[in-house]
Amino acid sequence: MNIVLSHFGDLLGGFWVTIELTLLGFAGSVVLGTILAVCRVVPITPLRVIGASYVEFFRNIPLLTLMFLFIFGLPDIGITYSLFASAAICLALSGAAFTCEAIRSGINTVPVGQAEAARAIGLTFTQSLRCVILPQAFRSMVQPLVNVFIGVALSSSLAAAVAVNDLTNRTQQLNLEYAEAVAAFLVAGALYLVLSLGGAGAGAWFERRLAIQR
Amino acid sequence: MSQHIARSGLLRRTSILAVASAVSAALVGCGSSAAVTPTAAGPTVSTSDYSAIIAAAPVADTSAITRGSWMESVKTRGYLQVGGSDAAQLFSLKDLETGELKGFDAGLSQMLARYITGKTDVLSLTKLTTVTVDTRETLLQNGTVDAVFATYTITPARAKKVAFAGAYYESGDAILVKKDNTSIKEVADLKGKNVATESNSTAALSLKKYAPQARLQLFQTDAECVAAVQQGRADAYVLDQGILISDASNNPAVKVVGQPFTQEPYGIGLPLNKPEAKAFVNTWLKKIYADGSWNKLWKATIGTVVSGDAPAPPTIGSADGS
Repeated sequence: MNIVLSHFGDLLGGFWVTIELTLLGFAGSVVLGTILAVCRVVPITPLRVIGASYVEFFRNIPLLTLMFLFIFGLPDIGITYSLFASAAICLALSGAAFTCEAIRSGINTVPVGQAEAARAIGLTFTQSLRCVILPQAFRSMVQPLVNVFIGVALSSSLAAAVAVNDLTNRTQQLNLEYAEAVAAFLVAGALYLVLSLGGAGAGAWFERRLAIQR
Repeated sequence: MSQHIARSGLLRRTSILAVASAVSAALVGCGSSAAVTPTAAGPTVSTSDYSAIIAAAPVADTSAITRGSWMESVKTRGYLQVGGSDAAQLFSLKDLETGELKGFDAGLSQMLARYITGKTDVLSLTKLTTVTVDTRETLLQNGTVDAVFATYTITPARAKKVAFAGAYYESGDAILVKKDNTSIKEVADLKGKNVATESNSTAALSLKKYAPQARLQLFQTDAECVAAVQQGRADAYVLDQGILISDASNNPAVKVVGQPFTQEPYGIGLPLNKPEAKAFVNTWLKKIYADGSWNKLWKATIGTVVSGDAPAPPTIGSADGS
């Protein structure tokens, strides 16, 4: 345990990389997931098909496989992203599929009468989505999105397998030298917990902020 | 309300760009998947020779298997529970057709199992539990495996947790680079370079010691490390020289440079609370050194890529921690 504590600075450096991966991955998933969700609810068949295909593809491919393809496959056709960027993009691509479904189910919680009322007062589809439906839908999306956040945070540890110097990777390096796997992973686990709880805390704050005063 | 509109408007502008680039990247990613996987074609070891070497290895006297000992529990069970790998070139690689594990580490574990149980059928001698750097000590401590054969370098820090029999092999880390690379010739040239290595290897440790300014990239497998060098992600790949030579012999795009810059004594990990195990395994090692089984196994595995005769086996107990 002493060894783990004396290398805590190094682990914190890895934790920072994990935080960056998580934030970039989650931000990317929210942006991309929102667009996909809109694609899945608009009354335009090709867009719905694209949205649905994306979700089914990226939700069903293991993230590690995706990272592996991204890192070792793309260079074969001349596209090389850095290891960190590849991991972040893969987290976003995969997270977007889950975010899309969270947002879509949120949209579905808004009663159909709201959309009809919006149309009745002359709003276009985009306007009714932006001004009527999405603001209400976001309320019921907060907790599912927290789930996505935690999912992204925890699966960012897969980046360790493709040589990104994150918390898990540095924990493994520590074990290599000092053979203190249990202690090292306890500390790493605690740091992951901090990150997940942080996400959950932010979710709870958003939920209170978006709550309707009835 | 206006706040929402402003926010989602911004969201939309940035997100369209992101979607376009992400989706195109994703599509390209799946399209190329056929050409992706780094191949792991290893040197071929003929099954009959290999099995014959194991089958000809010595068997312990019944008197050596004392009552209530580590050896007796293995003998009663009928097979050795081995912690190791099924994807380590030359050392322990699974033959996907027969399901047989082959390699220097695998062969030694099978010989040890034969020594204790007296059986000859290679497939039933051992049961493998795949171990990693993170699990080796714990699995030995809690009795999930009887012994670890996993290119397990003997170090004083590890010797506090597990007992090491051996050393049974001494290896050195060398450097693999792209064929056209002329700037890296020895370990000092790795300064500031991206250097790949296997996350389960001690090469990462030697790099920290001999090239502290190299930027480490820890990948899971040998094949990934070679691909990283070939694709220019890593400038060099550092690992056991034997494995690198085998990689270079399979892949004309890379080459091995310089001589090994470390000495890695590999040991057999055994439970610390069963002191009889270490003495027993060391006795067995001396036997297979003396009767030539060790030499034959080296020839059939590592010797397929490293030219020349088998080296003299390392002295038992010579490594710090064994």
